[in-house]
Amino acid sequence: MSYDKPLPRINADNQAFWEGCRMHELRFQQCKGCGHVRWPPSDRCPRCHCTETRRLISKGIGRVYTFAVYHVAYHPGFAGDLPYTVAVVALDEGPHLLTNIVGCRPEQVVCDMPVEVAWEDVVDRITLPKFRPLSSAEGLG
Amino acid sequence: MQHAVGVLESGLCRYVLISYGHNALSGDSMRRMLMELSGDDAVFGHFGATGGYALAARRAMHEFGTGPETWKKIAVGQRKWANLNPAAMMFGKPMTEADYDKARWVVEPLRLPDNCLITDGGRAIIVTSLERARDLKQPPAVIMGMGQDHPSTAVAQSDWMAGPTGARKAGETALAMAGIRLDEVDACEIYDCFTYTVEITLQDYGFFKPGEGRDWLQGGTIEPGGSMPVNTSGGQLSEAYFMGLTPIAEGAMQIMGRCGKRQLGPETRTKSPEIIMISDNGGILESHSCILLRRW
Repeated sequence: MSYDKPLPRINADNQAFWEGCRMHELRFQQCKGCGHVRWPPSDRCPRCHCTETRRLISKGIGRVYTFAVYHVAYHPGFAGDLPYTVAVVALDEGPHLLTNIVGCRPEQVVCDMPVEVAWEDVVDRITLPKFRPLSSAEGLG
Repeated sequence: MQHAVGVLESGLCRYVLISYGHNALSGDSMRRMLMELSGDDAVFGHFGATGGYALAARRAMHEFGTGPETWKKIAVGQRKWANLNPAAMMFGKPMTEADYDKARWVVEPLRLPDNCLITDGGRAIIVTSLERARDLKQPPAVIMGMGQDHPSTAVAQSDWMAGPTGARKAGETALAMAGIRLDEVDACEIYDCFTYTVEITLQDYGFFKPGEGRDWLQGGTIEPGGSMPVNTSGGQLSEAYFMGLTPIAEGAMQIMGRCGKRQLGPETRTKSPEIIMISDNGGILESHSCILLRRW
């Protein structure tokens, strides 16, 4: 079955991020000036305005900062998923990422719940970083 | 409004018309605008304003214990005002707390009555100097204070979804310019794209402490007959959505005494308004403006 949901619009700013996702790596810009790890990508640091960055690969672990459960499909591609969970995940390295929580029912999601990245290869060139409850093995590690 | 005051004070204009009109209900431009705002969030099925405010409202539930029990007081209270306003889309459609509880989820934790309306129509105000206004047909509503604050960052990167939002500083600035205290305000017209927006705005203005909104709203505080009437036309939730023109036009009309059955004062068993506090809000709690109007 063909994938019928919107795909990311890749541009010069976000290309490195989506290429990383294809390799199952969460790549962020880290400011060489102040160490701030930022998302979305930008040509200078929103905190110190420094333009130099290094690549930081997130471990893909964080917490649910907040979430919302969709009961209406605003795009036909999501109609079969209702109800589904959109969340902002605060990664341990700092960035807040808008994503989906998968692998549990919406009513099981709570704020501050530990989560880990769950890669979803949706089409040939695009992989989406979604998140699922942190497995206990990871939690102990 | 601040721009209008600027061009009036500098002598560039004598009268400034601020107007808003939109066929948002019968056309598709509002929906298209909200979809375009989603950007790559649409990849994860995140669309429009309801989803963004649902994220904010959920964080507020976590941080200070608010929730539907608070928001339904706002939705039901404003509906009572709408039922005194024949121009309101929800006139003749009363809503009880039980109706609210039964309403369907849109994006949880927000139900349908937590969402503002989509409206065909428009509204306009005229701003001029007090000297000119005194000679006009209607009594003036005098601008006594204004404030703005714009935290700006998109909701996914925001860490102030549960406050303080721009309302804190904008409110303080407006009160300071007016030289009044919050307890001198007689009524509020709050930008109410969602019920939670009303709660966080009133909270950040200082009407109650974080999480105490539910208690503050008990007993019909914001309703006809209440001690702090809020959104006396029914607001965007129950009258009509004309962006910032819904609250500001109602605030001016109430000060002028032109509101018929919903007029603040003896008609609605409320205080006759000397001072009304009015808000506007943009994005997902990304920008905020506050205006204080007083009777001349």
